[in-house]
Order: sequence, then C-alpha cells, then structure tokens
Amino acid sequence: MARAVRSGTRVDTVLLVACCAMALLTTVLPLNLREAIASGLRRTVVAPLVTLQQQAERGRSAFLSREATTSRLDSVSLRNMQLSRLEGENERLRALLGLGRQLEWGFVSAEALRGGAIGEDHTLTLTVGSRAGVAAKTPVVAPEGLVGMVRTVDPSTSLAILWTHPDFAASAMSADRSAYGIVYPHLSESGRAEGVPPERYLLELRGVAFRSALKSGTEIVTSGLGGVYPAGIPIGTVLGELQTSEGWARTYLVRPAVRPPDVSNVIVLLPKKLEDQSIEKIWRSAASADSAARRIAAAGDSIARRAAEDSTRAANTAAARRAADSTARVASDSARRPPARGDSARSPVRPDTPPAGARP
Amino acid sequence: MSWTRSARAVLAFLLLVLLHYTVRPLLGWRTPVDFLVIAVLLSAVRVRPGAAALIGFCTGLIADSLTPSAFGAGALAMTAVGATASWLKAVFFADNIVLHGFFFFVGKWAFDIVYVTAERRMHGVGLATQLLLWSPLSAALTAVVGVVLLLMLRPVLEPQSA
Repeated sequence: MARAVRSGTRVDTVLLVACCAMALLTTVLPLNLREAIASGLRRTVVAPLVTLQQQAERGRSAFLSREATTSRLDSVSLRNMQLSRLEGENERLRALLGLGRQLEWGFVSAEALRGGAIGEDHTLTLTVGSRAGVAAKTPVVAPEGLVGMVRTVDPSTSLAILWTHPDFAASAMSADRSAYGIVYPHLSESGRAEGVPPERYLLELRGVAFRSALKSGTEIVTSGLGGVYPAGIPIGTVLGELQTSEGWARTYLVRPAVRPPDVSNVIVLLPKKLEDQSIEKIWRSAASADSAARRIAAAGDSIARRAAEDSTRAANTAAARRAADSTARVASDSARRPPARGDSARSPVRPDTPPAGARP
Repeated sequence: MSWTRSARAVLAFLLLVLLHYTVRPLLGWRTPVDFLVIAVLLSAVRVRPGAAALIGFCTGLIADSLTPSAFGAGALAMTAVGATASWLKAVFFADNIVLHGFFFFVGKWAFDIVYVTAERRMHGVGLATQLLLWSPLSAALTAVVGVVLLLMLRPVLEPQSA
C-alpha cells in the first residue's frame, strides 16, 4: 500500500517536472518553431475553437456596430427618397425646357413658391415681376397645360391664382371645337357624376350647349374667346356629365391637366405673346413638348455614350499596342538570352542580386 | 472515480472550454473572465497532481496557440496552477462557497503572475498595473463566475446517490 502511494507520488512528480520542463522549453524555442507548433495546433485541435471565437467576435462587433449600420441605412433611405423627388423635378424641368423651345419667344420662366398658410392654397408666388415684363392677367402655364393667371405684379415678384381659386374662370372648348363653355373650379362634392371617384382637384365645364354631348376622355382646351387666355392651352379631360337643374345647358366634370401640388416651375406668357396665333399649335399634339425634351435628354445621353465608347476604344487600342510591344520585346530578349533553367522561371532574379555563389 | 463521474467531469471541462471561446469574446471586457482557469481548477481537484499538471499543460498549450508570441507561458502557468490546486485540494475540500471563491481568485491571480512573468513582455509600471490592478479584478470576476458555475454544475459533478 505504502509502496503504491510512493510510486504514485513519484509518477506525479515526474509528470509535473516533465510538463514544467516542456512548458519552459516552449518559451525559449525560436520564434519560427513556436509559430509552426502554434499554427499546427490552430489547424488541427484548436480549429473548432478558433472558429467559435471568430464567430463570437464577429457577433460582438455586429452588435456594437448596429447603431452605425442603422443610421447609415437611414441616410441611404433618405437619399433614395430625395433621389426620386429629384428625378421628378428633373423630368418636369426637361418638359419645361421643351415647352420653352416650342414657344421660342414672349415668355419668362419662373419658380412657383407655395405658401403653406390658410388662404394660400389657391395662390402662387412667382419669382418674376414687372421688371421681366410680366403684367396682370397674363396666363401662367406648365408643360402639361394651364396653371392659372397672374393677379398682382410687383417689380421682382408676382402673385398668381391657380385654377383652383374660386375666382378662376376660363373660356374653353373641346379640342375638336365641337363644344364651348366656361371652366370653373369644382368646389363641392355634391352633384358628382356617377362612377367618378371623389377628388379634391377637379374642374367644371359649364354652359355647354345641350346638343353638344361630350364623351368621357374628351380633351378640353382654352378657346381664346375671353381675351385672357390664348386658344389651345390644355385644361383637362372630361370625366363625366354633372347632373344639374339647368335644362338648357350641360355641365361636365373635368380632370385638370395640371395638378397644383406638382407645380414648381412655370412659364408666364408675356402680353405680346398672347397675340401670337402659333400658341394654339404648341399643345395641339400633347407629345410635342415631351418629345422636344426627350430629344434634348437623348442628345445629352448620346454625347455621354459616345464619349464613353471613345474612351473604351482608346483604352483597348492602347492595351493592344502595349501587348504587341511587350510580345516583341520578349521575343527579341529570348532570342539573345541563353536557355533559362527550369527554376529561373519560378524565381526571377532581380538585376541588383549578386550571382549565386558570390560572397559579399 | 467511476466512469460516469469521469464522463461528467470531462463534459463539464469541455463546456467551460467552449464558454471560454464563445462567451468571453462576446463580452469583450477589459477584465475578462477566465473560463479555462476555472475548468483546470475544477478538474485538478478531482485528479492526482501529475494528471492535473498534464491537464494544465495541454489546456495552456491550446490557449497559447492563439498567442504565438507568448507561446509556452500559458502552458507553464496552467501546469503550475493545476498541480498546485491538486496538491492543495485537501485544504479546499470543505464545501464552503466562500472558500471556493477564494480558491478561484487565488488560482486566477497566480496564473496571471506566472503567465506575465514567463511572457517577459511587460516591465515597470505596466507590469505592476497588470499584476496589482487588472489581474486581481479579473481574478475577482473569475471567482464570482466560477462560484456561480460551480453551483450550476454541482448536480452534474457531484450527483446525489439514491
């Protein structure tokens, strides 16, 4: 019994001394040897533990960076929202540019500022005034059609009413001139045509002769009879007939061509332009203004595309020339050089390296 | 020690090693909990000093494989701590929580002292700060966690006989 205990103690001592000796030995091993042993352990026994540790550390860093990631995501979303707004604005400006090209002269473009206060729902402040030639009772238009009319003019700004204003009225006709009437803003929900959804921004075409029945979808334009608006500016399209008590004339509900919330840049027609008969032709084809804008955009795009193609072609030519040069150089070098050893291809000798066997 | 008890002890040891490589990096504290020291101490009191030294050496070598610059220091420190714990197990044989906590505290602190000394990287104020401030704090935290784990693992390590 005593011998067994003594033997066990001796084994313990031997193991302890051996372990301590090995541990001390590993501390004094050369670094490359230590790294080799550590690397071997990492690739075999410790590999699962290393993976676990990496995943835990990754989880911790993900947890710590979650706020930064969220704020980055928020800014990207915000920028994305701004991007769609800018795209819309760009589209509208291009359309306005197209309309300006069609009008050629006698107009000024302006920025339309909307006040958010009560009572300012139906008015626009324009960034042009009498200095730019703007006068009262001149039409305000957008590429889509009629926006309203200038009411008050200051030297550098002017105030315009939208077609939603209760005082707005415009002499109008169907695009085929088969029916005439006067357009007013549709201010009440009562008497809505059947099947027509409730909308805030609608117009009424009143006083249409009873014999002139208009179909849904008929385009309504200014007639030029009132003396304020020249003929041919789009107002909207017929949605349906309104049931009224008047038996001698028809009233139609009209979906406007211009939605007031979309108005940001407008064109003010100057008084001398109102006498120009060519205005009527500008909006006759609804696509004409758009097509002009599209031509401009396409021209810009094609220039950019042409430039990109040119630069790609130049880069390809340069690369091909370089490849041809290097091939020729290699061919001439290898013709002069003695045949290379098998290993020289794997380890190219730098020009400043002394030859093998040379002593410093 | 029966087969069942040995298997349970090995499982507890492996669980603590896993905790060392999962929970510790997840917490990322300045004074980390050393689950490996807890594992070695809990194993050492159940085996003979020679075996405890071997367990300590192997565990330390595994830990050192991730820090090649201090390769061997962990193995030496774990060997010393394991063997000493096994020899001193009679002292800590009493089933006292405070005593167990003290056991873990001293074990971790001793490990740090041997490790930092064998590593030979720290000098002067840095060494003193490590051994007199961060190591005791880490040892205290390890002791608290060790006691909690011991209470949780007690049914596994020392099952009640029917």
